[in-house]
Parts: sequence; structure tokens; C-alpha cells
Amino acid sequence: MAILSGKGVSKRFGALAAVDQVDFEIAEGEILGLIGPNGAGKTTLVNVICGSLPITAGTVHFKGQDISEWTANRVAESGIARTFQIPKPLPGMTVLENTMVGGLFGRARRSRDMNHVRELARETLAFVGLEARVDARVEALTVADRKRVELAKALAMDPELLLLDEVMAGLNLVEIETVMDLIRQIKDRGVTVLVIEHVMKAVMGLCDRILVLHHGKRIALDTPQEISRDDRVIEAYLGERYAAAKGQRVN
Amino acid sequence: MSADQSSLVSRWKTAISDLRQGRAKRRTYVILMVVALAFLAVLPFVAGNYWVRVVTGIFMFATLSQAWNVITGYTGYFAFGNVAFLGTGAYVTAVLVVRYSVPVPVAIVIGAVVAAVYAMLLGFPLLRITGHYFSIATIGVNLATREIAFNLPSITGGGMGITMPLMRVSIQTFYRYIYFGMLGLMLLCTAAVYLLMRSRTGFAFRAIGADESAARSMGINTTLYKVLAWGFSAFFFGLVGGLYAYWFSFIEPPMVFNPANAIKIVAMTYLGGIGTLPGPIIGAFILEIISETVWGRFLELHLAVLGLIIVFVTVFMPNGLLPLIRGESSLRALVQNLRERRL
Repeated sequence: MAILSGKGVSKRFGALAAVDQVDFEIAEGEILGLIGPNGAGKTTLVNVICGSLPITAGTVHFKGQDISEWTANRVAESGIARTFQIPKPLPGMTVLENTMVGGLFGRARRSRDMNHVRELARETLAFVGLEARVDARVEALTVADRKRVELAKALAMDPELLLLDEVMAGLNLVEIETVMDLIRQIKDRGVTVLVIEHVMKAVMGLCDRILVLHHGKRIALDTPQEISRDDRVIEAYLGERYAAAKGQRVN
Repeated sequence: MSADQSSLVSRWKTAISDLRQGRAKRRTYVILMVVALAFLAVLPFVAGNYWVRVVTGIFMFATLSQAWNVITGYTGYFAFGNVAFLGTGAYVTAVLVVRYSVPVPVAIVIGAVVAAVYAMLLGFPLLRITGHYFSIATIGVNLATREIAFNLPSITGGGMGITMPLMRVSIQTFYRYIYFGMLGLMLLCTAAVYLLMRSRTGFAFRAIGADESAARSMGINTTLYKVLAWGFSAFFFGLVGGLYAYWFSFIEPPMVFNPANAIKIVAMTYLGGIGTLPGPIIGAFILEIISETVWGRFLELHLAVLGLIIVFVTVFMPNGLLPLIRGESSLRALVQNLRERRL
């Protein structure tokens, strides 16, 4: 069953169609990859789903409800949490406090007992491997640790659907392995995950299915095996001439 | 003794010493506070009327700075025209007491509620604009509210002002009442902010102040919490305004809607440390005592010096005096800051 589905989702900035008539659905419990060259409209699509940007046309349904017109905070309360490509930690607050905000609001908002929220935040930070940095100010963290805080904040919201916008960009190979492992564990907890990622190894290794955008249009939605053989995808990433040359070689 | 046991013992010792240090630190704070409160409680019985008035003024500005800190320091909205709510509280209190014979304490509370509701109604449209624009809009609110007070002479007395009845006690006793009233407001406001900032609502305020769009995407209804923050702030401005009206027993629009008071609040909060609990109080005490003892003599220069303090503090000590007092920063760091800016 689809937990999130979009029909004809479009976002225009003046004459530019950043997201153009995209249909998609994410099945409950799966990891869906969202890939595409730079400027394909991946982050814009996530912003539209989350209500951070108003939708131009089309509808988005989450658990059967039309959320197309909802504000960002209402979407977050309903159970969709996201991370930002450029981490947006809350400066002036500690790592623990940042994570507690997630536990106090988001879908987890029913919990108002501060001690309970603090304990849950500690558990979440231990899960993402930040237990040693709980009392650090977020400004003092490395890029890799900021990404972990971003993940912890989103997880503390107790989401049913997690949208991860390039959580691996800028990480080294060991860190990427760790994050991939975390995402698998998140999936095992029953959370549906959408990952925007440029790290192909991670996308191919993690995702059940992959949605490919190019110039705002959906050009493919299939399993990783099929996607890696799709001519249009290869063309989008490596250019027409490469695709043509490859076609000749096959012939 | 096995290695396991000895490591356990050493860990136990560290834990104990940590606890002791933590406790000792908290105890120091408690002792300091008790001494300060005892001193302030005795002061009006030993000091002359002049100093009682000065310290009452300090309490008043400490309360205002503390309340202003909630909307500006924590929530990040520079509400420059917050004195509008001081004036609202003052006028509502005066009108209720003079025209409807409402008892003064009741009138002050009603005045504060009216000020808070007024701020919240204005907040829904105004808190959608950010940065300088919001700041300028609040200045507009202050001026507009002052004009309302000017132009409703049948209720407010207009430019003639409004005179409140005097309490039938000696002037000294009256000043003592006001003194303890303002001290009470300062303590009440500080306790309220302390509790608020530890609550879910306080976390929402700080998250909005840190990054509003991130806060929204975490499920915080930012409009609602901004409105609450401004309402909370305005409530205490209203309380202070009501007591201020009774203290001076005569109010007129230029006095209670005075933008110079706004500048003072900004300077005090930044000087002590914006976005901290003790900051506004420390700032109010230091600035008011200095200005009473030194610059009070040069009335015109006074405002210029206030401006210089704001510039100096925001450029060289953006976190105010508090880090210096807490020992988190040093004069050396300040000098380094000066060098880095090639001054």
C-alpha cells in the first residue's frame, strides 16, 4: 500500500518548471531512492511534499489524506520528517536540545514530559552515534556530526516517513557505510524512507526502487537493476553521445 | 584488588567529586541570590528616598528587559516598539482606576491582559514580517497607540494626561510599596521566564529564534508560538506600565510611549547578555547605576553614551557581560576581538 503518493505534482518558478507533472508512490516500509542530475528538481519535490514550498498543480496524498495545501508544520506533525541538504541545526542550542525539539514536536508531540523527551533524545543520539557529543553546541560540530544531528532531529520526531536530502554528501567512505547501516536499521523499525542521494553505491545498495528526475520530469521509476540499464537514465547522467556510443558497442 | 574493581572505585570517586563540584556551584549561586535579595529587602528602610527611587527604576527596567528578551533574545523578533504595551497597561490601569473606581491591583492585572491581547492581535499580521521590517512596524505600533491616547480625550484625557488618586499614606511608605511592587514584578517575570524556557513552549521559542524554517519543518506552528512569545512579553510590559502609572500618579502620552525607554531596554539587554536569564537584570543594574551616578549630570550626552554602549557591546561583546562574569570569556579575548577588527 502506498504511504505517500503524488499525482501530476508540479512546481513552477515563473517560466521554469522545476518539477513537472510528476507521478510517484512510495510503498509503506520501502526505501525509495530519488536521483537525477543537478537541478533535476529533487529537493524542490521534497520541499513541495513537506509544504515548505506551495504546490503549483497536482496533489500529494499521505496515508490517504490530501496534504497538498498543508503548512510545513502540519505535514511534520502528521508524520513526515525531513533533513536538509545543508544541515539546519538550531544554533545556540546543544545537540541534546536540538534533538529534544524533534521529540517535543513532530509526530511525537503527544509527549510533553520533559524528562521522558530528554531520555528519548539521548537514545536517539546514541542510535546515530553522537552520545559523546550530547552537550556540545551544534556550532562546534564537524560536517559529519552535523549530518548526524540532522538525522537525530528528524528521527526524534517519530516519523512514519523520513525524507533524507543528501545525508551522505561530503562524508568519507567509512562514514557512508555507517549511515547506510543506520538507514537500514531505520527501515527495520518500520519507517518508510525516501533518500535523495548522489552517492550511487549507496543508492544501488539501499533502495528497493528508484525514482529518476531529469529537468523536473520523471524519466523512470523502477528497481535499481532496471534503472542501471535504462537508456534514458544513462543519457540523462552521461549525455546523449555516451548513450549513443554505448548503444553502438552493444549492437 | 583486581583491575575491574580499581577502575570501578576510581569512577565512583570521579562521580562523587563531580557531584560535589556541581552542588558547590549551585550552592554559591543560591547564597549569592539570598544575600542580594536580603540586601534589596533591607535597602528601602536604610537608604534615602532618592536611592529607593533609583532602585525601583532599576527593577522596572530589569523587568521590561527580561520580558523583551523573550520575544527578541529567545524568539529572535526585534520588537523595538514594545513600549506601546507599557503605555497600554498604564492607560488601561489609569482609566479603570479614575473613571470606574476599580481597585488598583485589579486594574493593573486587567491592563496587562489588555496589553497582551493587543500584542497578540497585532502579532498575527505583524509577526509574518521579519528582520528590520518587523522592527519598524513595531515602532509604528507604538506611535499609532500614542496617537490613539492623544485623540481620545474623553477617555484618556488626551494631551492633558490623566491623574490618579494618591494612596493615603506617607510619601515614604508609598515609595516603599512601589519599590516592593516593582521588585515583585522583576522576580515574578524572572521566575516565569525561567520556567517558560524549560518548557515545551520555551523550546519552540528558542527553535524559532535559531532557525525559523527549520523549526517549522520540525512541526512547530511558528505563527502561534511567535504570537504567544509577544503576548507573554506584552503582559509584563502591561504589568509594569500599570504600576508605573500609579507610581508617578500622572501619565501623559509622550511619557508612557517614550521611545527612549525602548533604547534603554535594548542597551541593558545587550549589555548584560541577550538570550540569557541573568543578562537583562545584570544589564539593567549596571547601566542604571552608571547612568545615575555619572552621566545623569549630562542630560544631552546621556543618550549619545547609550548609543555608544549599544555599538560597543554588539561589535565587541555580542554575548554581553555574562560570559565575562561566568568566566567563559576573558578580557584577553576581548582585546583579541579588538585586534581582529584592526581597531
